[in-house]
Amino acid sequence: MALEKTPRQSMPEQAPEDRAHNFDEVPFGYPNEVAVLEAGRCLQCKKPRCVEGCPVNNDIPGFLALVKEGKFNEAAEKLKETNALPAVCGRVCPQEEQCEKLCILAIKGESVAIGRLERFVADHEREHGEMRLPQLPPKTGKKVAIVGAGPAGLTVAGDLIRMGHDVTVFEALHEPGGVLTYGIPEFRLPKTIVNAEVAFLERLGVTFVMDYVVGRNSTVPELMENEGFNAVFIGSGAGLPSFMGIPGENLVGVYSANEYLTRSNLMKAFLFPKYDTPPIKRHKVIVVGGGNVAMDSARTALRLGGDVTVVYRRAMEQMPARKEEIHHAQEEGVKFDLLTNPTRVIGDASHRVTAIECLRMGLGEPDASGRRRPVEIPGSEFQITADTVIIAIGNKPNPLVPQTMTGLEISKWGTIVVDEATMATSVTGVYAAGDIVSGAATVISAMGQGRIAAASIHKYLTEQTA
Amino acid sequence: MKLIIDEKAVEASDGENLLECALRHGIEIPHLCAHEGLSAHGGCRMCVVEVDGMRGYPPSCATPAAEGMVVRTQTPPLRKLRKNILGLMMLEHPNSCLVCGKRELCEEYRPTPEKAGRTTGCHTCNNKSGCDVRQLAADLDLTELPEAPIYHKRPLERGTPFLDRDLNLCILCGRCVRVCKEQQGAGVIDFVGRGSAAHIGQAFDQTLLEAGCTLCGSCVDVCPTGSLSDRYAKWYGEPDKRVTTTCAFCPEACPLIVASADGQAISTRSANPFMPLCVLGRFSVAEFVNGETRLETPLVRVGTVLRQTQWKQALEQMAAQFALFTGDAFALVCDNSATLEERHVFRRFTADIMKSTNYIELVADPRGWTNPAKLPQGVRGVISVGALITTEQAAELEALAVVDCFPTTLSDRADFVLPSTVFTEMDGTILDGNGIARPLRAASLPRGAAQPAWQIIAGLSHALGAEGLPYETVESVTAELGLGKISLYLNRDEAPLPARNPALRHAFHRNHRIEEQVSGLLELPPVQGCELPKPAEENQATAAAFDTPSPTPTPANGKFKIVSRAEIVPNTFEIVIVAPEVARKAQAGQFCIVMADAVSERVPYTLSDWDTEKGTITLVVLEKGQSSRKLTLLEPGDCVAHVTGPLGIPLDIENFGNVVLTGGCYGIGAIVPIARAMRAVGNHVTVVTEARSWYLAYYREKLAGIADECVPSTIDGSLGEKGHSMDVVGQRLAAGRKIDLVIAIGCPFMMMLTARETAPYGVKTLAALNPIMLDGTGMCGACRISVGGETKFACVDGPFFDAHKVDWDEVRDRRTAYAAAEIQSVGRTASVAPIPHKHHGNCGCVTDALNV
Repeated sequence: MALEKTPRQSMPEQAPEDRAHNFDEVPFGYPNEVAVLEAGRCLQCKKPRCVEGCPVNNDIPGFLALVKEGKFNEAAEKLKETNALPAVCGRVCPQEEQCEKLCILAIKGESVAIGRLERFVADHEREHGEMRLPQLPPKTGKKVAIVGAGPAGLTVAGDLIRMGHDVTVFEALHEPGGVLTYGIPEFRLPKTIVNAEVAFLERLGVTFVMDYVVGRNSTVPELMENEGFNAVFIGSGAGLPSFMGIPGENLVGVYSANEYLTRSNLMKAFLFPKYDTPPIKRHKVIVVGGGNVAMDSARTALRLGGDVTVVYRRAMEQMPARKEEIHHAQEEGVKFDLLTNPTRVIGDASHRVTAIECLRMGLGEPDASGRRRPVEIPGSEFQITADTVIIAIGNKPNPLVPQTMTGLEISKWGTIVVDEATMATSVTGVYAAGDIVSGAATVISAMGQGRIAAASIHKYLTEQTA
Repeated sequence: MKLIIDEKAVEASDGENLLECALRHGIEIPHLCAHEGLSAHGGCRMCVVEVDGMRGYPPSCATPAAEGMVVRTQTPPLRKLRKNILGLMMLEHPNSCLVCGKRELCEEYRPTPEKAGRTTGCHTCNNKSGCDVRQLAADLDLTELPEAPIYHKRPLERGTPFLDRDLNLCILCGRCVRVCKEQQGAGVIDFVGRGSAAHIGQAFDQTLLEAGCTLCGSCVDVCPTGSLSDRYAKWYGEPDKRVTTTCAFCPEACPLIVASADGQAISTRSANPFMPLCVLGRFSVAEFVNGETRLETPLVRVGTVLRQTQWKQALEQMAAQFALFTGDAFALVCDNSATLEERHVFRRFTADIMKSTNYIELVADPRGWTNPAKLPQGVRGVISVGALITTEQAAELEALAVVDCFPTTLSDRADFVLPSTVFTEMDGTILDGNGIARPLRAASLPRGAAQPAWQIIAGLSHALGAEGLPYETVESVTAELGLGKISLYLNRDEAPLPARNPALRHAFHRNHRIEEQVSGLLELPPVQGCELPKPAEENQATAAAFDTPSPTPTPANGKFKIVSRAEIVPNTFEIVIVAPEVARKAQAGQFCIVMADAVSERVPYTLSDWDTEKGTITLVVLEKGQSSRKLTLLEPGDCVAHVTGPLGIPLDIENFGNVVLTGGCYGIGAIVPIARAMRAVGNHVTVVTEARSWYLAYYREKLAGIADECVPSTIDGSLGEKGHSMDVVGQRLAAGRKIDLVIAIGCPFMMMLTARETAPYGVKTLAALNPIMLDGTGMCGACRISVGGETKFACVDGPFFDAHKVDWDEVRDRRTAYAAAEIQSVGRTASVAPIPHKHHGNCGCVTDALNV
């Protein structure tokens, strides 16, 4: 059949040489006719496995059928039934591990480009169509407080407002979006998209309160007892940066990836001096770590004019970052020093970084994660000159909310313990999802958990009334 | 005529005074009001000498040299007299740093000056390295003052975008008055008032601009103190190189001294001590050359985009393409703002290499604007040095290369974009308005990979094969031109044209609007009848897409209106802000994060007070950088963009016994809630404040009403005990006083010394640390510090830490992490005035202004 012969459509993107020097988004998105062509590749399976692979169970064949017919706005509405942030997910979800991995076409060839089409549909609606408001049910009179305006919080807010509850989102920073705003760079997720998604939620009636630190301005119990919230959702994320604990980590020039990225993304340091926060513009940058955050840091440093090397203690194939991100970073000129583990940061008399000392690693037996454990090769110490070291080895849950309430069960890693079927915490009426529950994971898993939490909160509030 | 100075036989010329004669012979006589190029004033009397046969001590600057004079300049009575004179003079100049016993350690601890608004000591002075008063005090070994200093509390004048004037530093030497009078004819400024009210000013309380100031900057150049400063250059510190060249901004071709540091131009001044510059030459060159959007690397078009590349590749690809257009299919367009050398190379390249007759040299108008060229029929490939053809013409071409220093809409459409140097970055020769050759000398390093245009074209000639043009250096081109001796235009007898005709300030350099780079020029009053060519060829910065801050959902608690703002002591502001959510929960020792406007940094400020009922918080803010400056410039009724808090772990309040709270700078304000809380639980609370001088001490009455005992200290001894707060604490401990807890709040230097003082006695000592922060909630780790070998985050683990365990050297070094970028930020010439802010519609700052 002709349709089967249609190859997976590629998405035009900025050439690596160009984009390595600007903060514009890398891919340009599908043109309409390409989107229709690509959507036409979907076999419309009776039992669509892709939907199972989606943490929020998007009706993938449903929206693809609408795209094929050119009904782009209808496709967007279909997506929004299950996904509050399709323009975001189309960009940052690891589709190759989820929906696209299970696509029947993937068995013999290439899957339908579900992520690219999701992005296309959401962008098309935002840029062309009227973002039509869905019919909202009558108000229930129940108030829900959402702690944190990140992916989990925005998902829960979007679901609950559609169920007729009053929703207030409290955000500690001055902009909404959580990691979408402070963590993911402009060239991967333009902030106009996050702002548009937030603006849509506001139009639905969600109240956003910025500059409000739950745990300081009000604790969770105070929100429930004094402010009249019937339920609280905690989506405060994993904001606490981990350091390696090696000598020299406090030298001037060593940054957590959180600081490095927050400066650039949230504070717009890359637009200095239009924005007052100065960027970290140096020549020889070392990024320690192998996840998406490490790739984001490396690519940001490159755009600020640095010569960038990623230092990672395992091998390339064991990197937790998305393949696409590693590929983009390599294309743009980021270098990789693999099986290398930093042991010490070296500085000059004025405490500024001059080099980093590392050990070479070999691969040993598989560890708990199934990846072969890196083993130090004794005596293999060597130095790499550097004026900037960015530590991107992960984040821990933010302790502020758990610290300021009693009766909340916390794991030894500082995460909030929940019933995974309902995302209910050990405190009645308090739910949690996202990185505060699972440690540092993905945007879409936070959203998936958020959907479960929203359903449970709705059930809880309904039963409360009965 | 012959005379003897300090036993040395010297010869004086006619009309020379003793000071000039001595200086010319390398005999140094201290002097302040005298200055090269200015008439003698005889005002400061620092240059007094002894002359045989003359009574008293005549000032050498006002004593004509005469045949047979015997002069002594360094006798003990002279030294004593000078010291007395300087002492009196320094009474009206912030001097506490000059007499401070801890000065050396402090300056080691504070390598860069604090970028304060007002200067209240050498630590906040932009002219620290060039200050004559500071130098004289050191030379004369002046460490004690006869009496308490006088501070007139004169307002800091920021009325022009280029000049800051702080008359509180002024020693009334009159150099500025004389330079203005003698160079500009009619003096814009003069001595105003008499006796202790005497100051420099304009008649009838006019502003500088109203009084006719042309912004020549000569007053800044001659000022011996930090009283007058160049806003763009002031924080860059001492230049490491000065090169004399010619200003190429207009056909006047004024001689220019370019000062640079690490190869970067930071300021310019007239090379002719008798002739001032205009605002373009004096205040706009460095900011223009350092423009954010300068082209830095060669770009080659690949498909629809321009891609960065190396010179070699760019020229090779260009050669391959332009080889197709030899003969009259090729044209090179330039204008007469290019150097003679450049034009010579262009001409030869066009004729000899490209075999074309289409060398097109246009003529720029006096404002530096050149209208586009008319291209002859049949031209298919063009090199345009500057944006000198229209984009419509460009669309018709098969190949276009643009050589330029800034991007334009033309360079956006080019196939090749070649970054060129600006005149301070190159050697060569230009013609002034009278057709006389004037020299250009490379005074700063080229931006990025930029090259002089002659070199680019000569390089291209080699890439085109054959022999190419035989030029390796610019001298080889100059030699071929046979220009003879080329000299600076030093004998001008009239101020440059743009100084006399303000319309010419709105000028172009090689078709780039100078104002685009030098925002201060835009703020000069509009000039009637000044029609400018449309800057259609100007390109917007690529970042324009992000220009407007992203919309923030309306904060429900966003009524961060400023209720009151007062400069309680110089540079220190008490600001009361409506922030009910912060006030409701605030506890002693906590801080909040403030963003003055939507593009500000997030800066932590300790809560000095709060009123739960009114829902307000009180901050004591020191102006010491861009962000705090923005905050202190907001007026009552204005709104702060964001306030987050209370943050940090509240101080542990219990009955310790005898508690001593020490505060300096903002810390005096920060002590208030702590003193109150500590006393409320039964502690005996002693507050020790420190300030440089009496006029910097604040909250004395407020603290006296809260604490059991209040001890002020000042470095100059003008109020309370002489010395620092830790000296007071140390003396008491040495005297056997029982102290159970010391809490120090101030600069790291003060807290470190306090820890040193209390350590031998084992007294528990806490320091409040607020290093550079970003989010203030533990997210970024920018504020990490080492305490007892462990890394802590000041924002969530602090702000209070055991002062004996803090790694103070690390605290010091981490504070200077962004010093260079801060200078760039604070040095913009844009106006320093209340910033306009976005009205959310619900903050009430307009409609509610009257209800405050």
